[in-house]
Amino acid sequence: MERLRRTMMFVPGSNPGMVKEAYIYGADSLMFDLEDAVAVTEKDAARFLVYNALKTIDYGTTELVVRINGLDTPFGRDDIEAMVRAGVDVIRLPKTERKEDIEEVEAVIEEVERKIGREVGSTKMMAAVESPIGVINAYQIASSSKRLIGIALGAEDYVTNMKTKRYPDGMELLGARTQIVIAARAAGIYALDTVYSNVDNEEGFRNEVELIKELGFDGKSVINPRQIKPVCEIFTPTAQEIKKSIDVKRAAQDALERGLGVISLNGKMIDKPIIERAERVLQLAAAAGVYEEVMENEK
Amino acid sequence: MPYNLSKQRVPVDFILWKGITHDMDYNFKEKRIFLEDEAEKKNLELFLNNEGINLDKNLEYTVGIYESGKLAATGSFFKNTLRCLAVSFEYQGSGLMNKVVSHLMNEQYQRGYTHIFVYTKCYAAKFFSDIGFYEITRIDGLVVFMENKLNGIQRFTDELSKSRVNGKAAAAIVMNANPFTLGHQYLVEKASCENDVVHLFIVSEEASVIPFSVRYELIRQGTSHLKNVILHETGSYIISSSTFPSYFIKDDESVVSAHANLDLNIFKKYIIPALGIKRRYVGEEPYCEVTKKYNDIMKESLEKDGIECVVVPRLKIQGKAVSASEVRKCIRENRIEEIKNLVPETTYKYFKSEEAKTLINKIINNKNRH
Amino acid sequence: MEIKKSSIAGTLESSDIQIAIEPKKENGIEIELKSSVEKQFGRQIRKVITETLQSLGIKNVKVSAVDKGALDCTIKARVECAAYRAADAKEKYDWEVMD
Repeated sequence: MERLRRTMMFVPGSNPGMVKEAYIYGADSLMFDLEDAVAVTEKDAARFLVYNALKTIDYGTTELVVRINGLDTPFGRDDIEAMVRAGVDVIRLPKTERKEDIEEVEAVIEEVERKIGREVGSTKMMAAVESPIGVINAYQIASSSKRLIGIALGAEDYVTNMKTKRYPDGMELLGARTQIVIAARAAGIYALDTVYSNVDNEEGFRNEVELIKELGFDGKSVINPRQIKPVCEIFTPTAQEIKKSIDVKRAAQDALERGLGVISLNGKMIDKPIIERAERVLQLAAAAGVYEEVMENEK
Repeated sequence: MPYNLSKQRVPVDFILWKGITHDMDYNFKEKRIFLEDEAEKKNLELFLNNEGINLDKNLEYTVGIYESGKLAATGSFFKNTLRCLAVSFEYQGSGLMNKVVSHLMNEQYQRGYTHIFVYTKCYAAKFFSDIGFYEITRIDGLVVFMENKLNGIQRFTDELSKSRVNGKAAAAIVMNANPFTLGHQYLVEKASCENDVVHLFIVSEEASVIPFSVRYELIRQGTSHLKNVILHETGSYIISSSTFPSYFIKDDESVVSAHANLDLNIFKKYIIPALGIKRRYVGEEPYCEVTKKYNDIMKESLEKDGIECVVVPRLKIQGKAVSASEVRKCIRENRIEEIKNLVPETTYKYFKSEEAKTLINKIINNKNRH
Repeated sequence: MEIKKSSIAGTLESSDIQIAIEPKKENGIEIELKSSVEKQFGRQIRKVITETLQSLGIKNVKVSAVDKGALDCTIKARVECAAYRAADAKEKYDWEVMD
């Protein structure tokens, strides 16, 4: 079953303290940033830091993502080589506008994998849409590579390109968000929402997370450990949802045991997407630690 | 090559034990402050005044650390000296000064300044000591002069010792020579005559319109006929009044005194013992108040320690004291011919040469007095 | 690798180490270390610095290090970074050696 990516925490690749401590906060994924968070004169330093950290520190089951600099900069290629060698899980592009962007990076990744004897295809990728053209090409991007596990929205650059700014109700991002989620679903990959910079505004943050959950996003980018708990809470299924999912699984199990061709529950046919969703709900529930409780009540 | 994935876990308790996490770091932004921007400059000045210091007039780069748009800490440098470092009271203890100094040192290294110095208030000496700075000398209650090398001054002194001529009467002169005039030559010749060996220190600093390499060369050429004169560089250990950081000292009077006494501490503690100096020669200063005061302090201080301080009256030509600023004035006004009577032939020859043309143009376009 | 000029990498902030290196003509690797945990970790820090320099093929160099509680991987990263900054600009990253 696919892993959870409710929270992806941004960690500046130039800060050894944060790189070292990041995993203790319990984010599902860590994104070490070699791009925006790092000054031009420190790109090399950040690369060495993240490279060595990834090779040495045991981050447990946390997914390790690195946002590289684009191949159109003097740093991109070296970033890719270093991170593939370091064993990164996912390479995230800084700005994806069309499928060629993915293909170019993929080619370099493959070259490095072959050179060092790492299983070809083991380094995954993630796209980040930050411009109108990227939004338009979202499906093209999302379906461009087998390595692509997700597509994210980068709001800051996007709203600038759209000649607007960020508002509390998020209307300026509505178009981009829906397009990205639709593209992600159509391609069968993850949809990750953008960061919320006002760390002190918990209410505003929660509202935004509720919204993106409603839209169907799988998770949220966070820039501060304090943002992790609210996201997990909001993505925690309700007891009702959990009960329903358990029932779906029971029905599926039952049908399997009785050798039935069609699974049904309460008069409705249960097909694959519904089962997958049920599994997802239970996975979220387990991660939030509430699955046990519900199971208790079932007895 | 086999792809190796073995790793070690960093114990969580090791991290949490320290009690600090870097959570706070997300909020601070480092931004360069351009003093050409009047508003920024004013804001910075206010900030510094609040912390009890002024804005130094010699600053080439300034950085500010901001939290939510508010200035929390700042620091600057001028060539290889750190200056105007301050953290606002409410943020003290949160490592902001470490951030400031890191940023500045990185920038300095990029500009080729790798031997870094700082003149700091005594209470901050411990902070600098913790980040790898070592004391050169101090004036109690006022200032500590530090460098980022463990044995910087000691190595400088050891190098000097190699030129020590034992059992001989040694004299010392410190000069900038911007450029080397007949007046300078006269001073050196007098010292050369009256002593067995003369150690001539040339101010290494690039604060004069005539670059160090040229000043050095003109001095070398202009003293080559004197067999007992040994040339040395001051390195960054002795700097000129025009660039001495005065921002943390209350009044002008105290600035000269602080500067003079620091230089004297270094001279007495390191230079005199290394070379066996018995006398120091200095040209009388009729024009510049600051230099005059400096010399007065020097004479008094040296004589207290049994070192003779010989103040040599300025060489006069046609009734007028020869001055380097007069020479620079002539050059600035493109009246090169007129310096012929004020400088040794070697200096004159240089300024008439092809290679001096670029420098002369620079002088013509330069607005400073120095 | 040959060190051509002086360079610096790292910061003075907590969990980091500032590494400044300077070329020397001879006499091997010289390390000046400032660390609040000199007693417990001084030797280890020097060891990591030395080994990293050796793996890069650097024989003669003066290192000034100011440690603020850096992990070994951070020390290694800062030394590698300073080394490449001090080397010729055309020097390509030799990942084989650093892996």
